[in-house]
Amino acid sequence: MGRRTVTRAEVEDFLYQEARLLDEWRLDDWQALFEDGARMEVTTTDWGGWELSSAGAFMADDHDLIKARVKRLKSRKAHAEYPRSRTHRLISNVIVLEQGDDTVSIAANFVIHRFRDEQTYTYVGRYAHVLVVDDEGLRFRLRRSIPVNEVMDPGARLSFIL
Amino acid sequence: MTHLTETSSTGTSLNPLVREDWDALTFRVHRSAYRSPAVFQQEISRIWGHTWLYLGHETEIPNPGDFKTRTLGGRPLIFCRDSDGEIRVFFNSCTHRGTILCRFKEGNTKHFQCFYHAWVFSNNGDLAALPGDEAYTDVPEFRESMRLRSVPRVQSHEGFVFISFDPDVPDLMTHLGRAAHYMSLTASIGPKGMHTVPGVQLYSIKGNWKLGVENAMDGYHFAPTHNTFVGYLRETGFAVTDDDQYAYDLGGGHGLLILTGHNGRIGMVWEPRFGEKEKERIAAKRREMAERLGPERAAEVADASRILYVFPNLLLFDLEALTIRQLEPVAPDRTDVRAWQFVERDEPAEARELRIKTMVSFVGPGGLATPDDIEAYEAVQRGIEATADAADPGIDWSDMSRGMADEKAGRQGRSIDEGAMRSFWRHWASLIDAEEPGR
Repeated sequence: MGRRTVTRAEVEDFLYQEARLLDEWRLDDWQALFEDGARMEVTTTDWGGWELSSAGAFMADDHDLIKARVKRLKSRKAHAEYPRSRTHRLISNVIVLEQGDDTVSIAANFVIHRFRDEQTYTYVGRYAHVLVVDDEGLRFRLRRSIPVNEVMDPGARLSFIL
Repeated sequence: MTHLTETSSTGTSLNPLVREDWDALTFRVHRSAYRSPAVFQQEISRIWGHTWLYLGHETEIPNPGDFKTRTLGGRPLIFCRDSDGEIRVFFNSCTHRGTILCRFKEGNTKHFQCFYHAWVFSNNGDLAALPGDEAYTDVPEFRESMRLRSVPRVQSHEGFVFISFDPDVPDLMTHLGRAAHYMSLTASIGPKGMHTVPGVQLYSIKGNWKLGVENAMDGYHFAPTHNTFVGYLRETGFAVTDDDQYAYDLGGGHGLLILTGHNGRIGMVWEPRFGEKEKERIAAKRREMAERLGPERAAEVADASRILYVFPNLLLFDLEALTIRQLEPVAPDRTDVRAWQFVERDEPAEARELRIKTMVSFVGPGGLATPDDIEAYEAVQRGIEATADAADPGIDWSDMSRGMADEKAGRQGRSIDEGAMRSFWRHWASLIDAEEPGR
């Protein structure tokens, strides 16, 4: 058990606030949710539980790449997201899995709709994050998104943050 | 049906949809080539039905009994290794009534059993069990006639397995021609060989498959389309250049870009984002490569990045790291894409981690670059609706003329010209018997 107990409500608040920042494209504020050295991963649809350092992935960002991704997405030259997609995130089934000394492992489900060029794309999946706990709140150590779709829908690229 | 406007009295029609004019130095493709269901049907029957197609890499099924199911040219297939270790490719369709025989994506099995009437086939294709066989006459002959159907031709080069649905095609090596050499270069990067890893990027684009080919053979788009990626590299301390980068027509529709100074190469050419430790590993690996391959061959393998296109459905990206990409046309405006990371056998864990991180930061639908390529395919597919059946049919053409003066003069085409696209389209034009341009 860590220095303080993290409740499901606190995790839900964290995830809902994150979803709001992303849907509002407040990417600098979103980036501040990561600790130094954090990672962000998006697994492929054939993922079998392996570490993404040894096999293929959709995203396997270290902290430098997370920052580079934010910088890119803020640019008017990120053509895939300029004009920006509208995204709409629903997060549910939040579970606190395990609390360590200074971290908490959590799971949640997501449905994200992305709208662009009069088309709708649906991304269904789950989160398996490791969050750092301190007196201030929670931050990402590992942000992992696991798409559940068998393949991505036609046109459903990952040009945004899943 | 609209009719072609003669834009030049000297233009040559390679095909009603592909025109080149060596006086005006223009090369144009009619946009119905990307839109027309009739053209698409011809591509599936004439190209996918009569050409060697890339199916998969033999390291995807390393052990006896391993299998993958995969659709190629719209035909569901089983790609497997039988119990004796031989690679087999079957139509994934029960010989009895045509049911999809294997409904799993991958696995390991000695037998494939159809759930419908419980017929069982060995992984070498034998009909191993026929429930209630007393009701058939001459059971041995019946069983023999109902073996699982193999695709007519299966051959491989450097572990890349190709199939043909036409039994009468020339051998694979004849088809690959000069492309075979470049596959061999990539296959010799690792001292213990190369293999694919799990973590396959499966995605689908709302664009014609040929837009995916053009994009890979098109260095002209790199700086404007990938502005943010170039900016990212600059911040890591690396300046991308377009200098000393060339495009090659390998014949048979195959194309190649050789890119020097375009990017670092893990294990071979250092770049600041790879870190200091990788610099030392590169020095050691280059010595190993020179000893194993000889200095000249090692330099050819290691010094420059390459993007190889093997007609019609394989792209081999040998860049910072390696990606095998397969294009599966689904409809005129839809293409399924499958991409495998291709890695060195037994490489150190930190090199593997760097390889995966670096490659997927560029290539794939979640990279910092490929999403902008996908945006381009899809924006073209939507944009060419504008000129379909236009009052002036002369405006419904796309231009690929860049660098034709150099080509005419016999100078080596640059990657930032459009020569590799033209050689693709010339080959395509020789296979497709299109009618006059229409929608």
